[in-house]
Amino acid sequence: MQRERVVITGLGTVNALGKNTGDFARGLKNGICGIGPLTLFDTSRYRTHTGAEIKDLDLCEMVPPPFSRKRLSRADVMGIAAVVEALRDASLFPFPESMAEDTGIILGVGSGGKLEAESVYHDYLKTGGRRAHFSRLANLCPASSADHISAALKITGPKTTFMTACSSGATAIGFARDLIACGAASVMIAGGVEPLSRTTYATFNALQAVDPEYCKPFDRNRQGLSLGEASAFLILESLTHALKRNTRIYGEVLGYGITCDAHHMTAPDPEGSGAVRSIRAALKDADLLHAAVDYICAHSTATPANDAMEAKAILEVFGKDITRIPVSSIKSMTGHTLGASGALAAVASIIAIRDGFIPPTIHHESPDPGCDLDFVSTGARPAVLNIVLANAFAFGGNNTSLLLGRYAEKGLWHA
Amino acid sequence: MHDTNQNRRVVITGLGMVTPIGIGKEQFSARLFQGDSGIREIAAFDTSRLVSHLGAEVRDFNPLDFISAKNVRRMDRLSQLSVASARLAVEDARMVIGMENRDRVGIILGTAFGPTDLKICCTRILFEQGPSRINPSLVPNSVLNAPAGHTSLELGFRGVNTTVNHQATSGESAIVYAAMELQRGTADFILAGGADILSDFYFESLVRLRAVSPTDGGAEGARPFDVHRNGPVAGEGCGIVCLELLAHALERGAVPYCELTGWGMSSAPSNPIDWPQDDKGVILAMQKALKMACLSPPDIGTIQAAGNGGKNPDAIEAKALAAAFRTNSPGPIVSSVKGALGECFSSGGMRAAVLALSIKEGKVPSTPGLMNPIVPLNFTMGRFKEANIHHGLLNAVSHGGTNVSIIMSRVQ
Repeated sequence: MQRERVVITGLGTVNALGKNTGDFARGLKNGICGIGPLTLFDTSRYRTHTGAEIKDLDLCEMVPPPFSRKRLSRADVMGIAAVVEALRDASLFPFPESMAEDTGIILGVGSGGKLEAESVYHDYLKTGGRRAHFSRLANLCPASSADHISAALKITGPKTTFMTACSSGATAIGFARDLIACGAASVMIAGGVEPLSRTTYATFNALQAVDPEYCKPFDRNRQGLSLGEASAFLILESLTHALKRNTRIYGEVLGYGITCDAHHMTAPDPEGSGAVRSIRAALKDADLLHAAVDYICAHSTATPANDAMEAKAILEVFGKDITRIPVSSIKSMTGHTLGASGALAAVASIIAIRDGFIPPTIHHESPDPGCDLDFVSTGARPAVLNIVLANAFAFGGNNTSLLLGRYAEKGLWHA
Repeated sequence: MHDTNQNRRVVITGLGMVTPIGIGKEQFSARLFQGDSGIREIAAFDTSRLVSHLGAEVRDFNPLDFISAKNVRRMDRLSQLSVASARLAVEDARMVIGMENRDRVGIILGTAFGPTDLKICCTRILFEQGPSRINPSLVPNSVLNAPAGHTSLELGFRGVNTTVNHQATSGESAIVYAAMELQRGTADFILAGGADILSDFYFESLVRLRAVSPTDGGAEGARPFDVHRNGPVAGEGCGIVCLELLAHALERGAVPYCELTGWGMSSAPSNPIDWPQDDKGVILAMQKALKMACLSPPDIGTIQAAGNGGKNPDAIEAKALAAAFRTNSPGPIVSSVKGALGECFSSGGMRAAVLALSIKEGKVPSTPGLMNPIVPLNFTMGRFKEANIHHGLLNAVSHGGTNVSIIMSRVQ
């Protein structure tokens, strides 16, 4: 049975490099570092004080009608802004009523409205449980963002939310692809949302996983990640549907794979078996050989363990072909945006294909003999890219690999 | 999903139950059809300051029956329930997981609220003692995907692993995704279902938000589809079902309970904390599931409804059921077990097991708490009903306007 091809027709993002894909693309191209002193909450009692924060989130500017501006969390505002941009980009805003029944949304999350929930709980503790705005808690479940978006657009297709820590966004894109491929929807809004919060910042610090200044992916002196925040969305569409409405097609979701390490709750399997299997599963799903890949948008968080594992896994899958396949970590610019990071990597990958350049790994100064690949560390590099691999690995041993490609009528990768 | 191709038929071959009415399939099944309720005064924490005191707790659960003393300390209650449930499900399916098949075994688990006890614990330490006092060993457990992670570690499998987090549709969505993954050929055997736990601040939030009975100040209790209902009673538990392709099940000599023949997912416009104004979303999900299974409403013998005793959700679902099945007389037997299990939100695995048992044993359980139905549907009341069931429907209806319907059929 021929599976329906699934293409990408719109992109949207809000992150530390910018509040739209244009600014994001410029940031990636110029190797801008979005990591700096955190101002969202007081970090004086924390071990570290930096992060990749989104500055000046303006509610009125970012949440246009028909979205309600009432009772939105920071996560909701970021999510809505990126969805609106992606829909506009796909010529679907205002959203056409005729497509409502055939459109759904799949969201990948980390903490949802945690930042606001923390404040409610803080008041609860301070007043001995007497004065707390419980009513404010109701809206703060991670799934709320998807509910807000589907309600405002009046879409009635499939809707759900994934939470697998740092691979959520990539998994959401994979599942959305499947829903279109099996005919359950023609258009899916898929992506991830992750705001910074005190508890997230505190727990990663408790694990001593945060670099006190800025993260240095694949560098010999890397000390950990930099936490960031982002929302990133793609409009996925069946090829038939996209051709019928004669819209611009950026690329195609070629395949994805999900595996599990079953090794340790926070440390990756040092042998990289889970990562190797997720990359191979994605290649198999896309019916591609590894040599077809032109660029790898790595998960690379800049923790000592992750980067060593990922480099090893990439070497195992790509062998000597890796000498001509560049690998880079956009987290050196955007920070690690956890639940959104897989979706942000997907948006960056499509931008790289569209604009013809490979985003650099900044802050990569001293090569690590254990990770010796082409990390694009001297700045963005012009390149014609057809097929990109984007990795997302998570606590709990969850691994998701996405394969995204340039759109070609007959599928150019088989040519 | 209905597919004449034998290689794409998905069946349920194992049930793992850690619930308020029993641990293990035998105890669960016996008490289910007896009409026993798991709802009692909450024992795990103090509710005296609150207006609600009832809950459906998992009692007499000893994690050491399922997990080594060394590993138990690394897990919170949600992960413990999940690991236990997974072990029971794999045992019931007579599945052996080893080196040769571990990469083809996976888990897709739903949880609506996750490890609420630990999330609050971390936040409390953060505010009361400062960020440096958070114990790093708590951290891996405080994320929502910890139960699926611990389960894969404990049982030693490395295939697809993900966690769905969408309110009261989490467990059902997980089952749908698992079926799709099997059909896509990425795994041979997937554990799917859902888990949620009761904990103090989480329960207090539900009470203060007037999300649980008694929302009207009347008598506390879960009364699904009853005119005197005044909110659900909160519950906890984990239900996991084993899914595999029919060909895989037959090859290893497993006996399926039933087959998943259709599913539908839909949304209806609604504020995240509210309910849609009409029943269109529920009807749409049921219609999609029927269409995929190539069935029409008269083919459905029983419905395991989502009704939990809430004012709005029960009214919306009852209206949808009356509209979709109105031409049949007397119509499918409708039952909701949330008067016995409470509303644990990620109840998809537990309720899929109820429907699997109904199909296998020819019995539809009673609807505890239902005395005066709001609509004249063919509800079970008082005791179970015997029926020869070929096809059953499982509904999930969530606030925020999210719906999942799954059709389960006798294996032909």
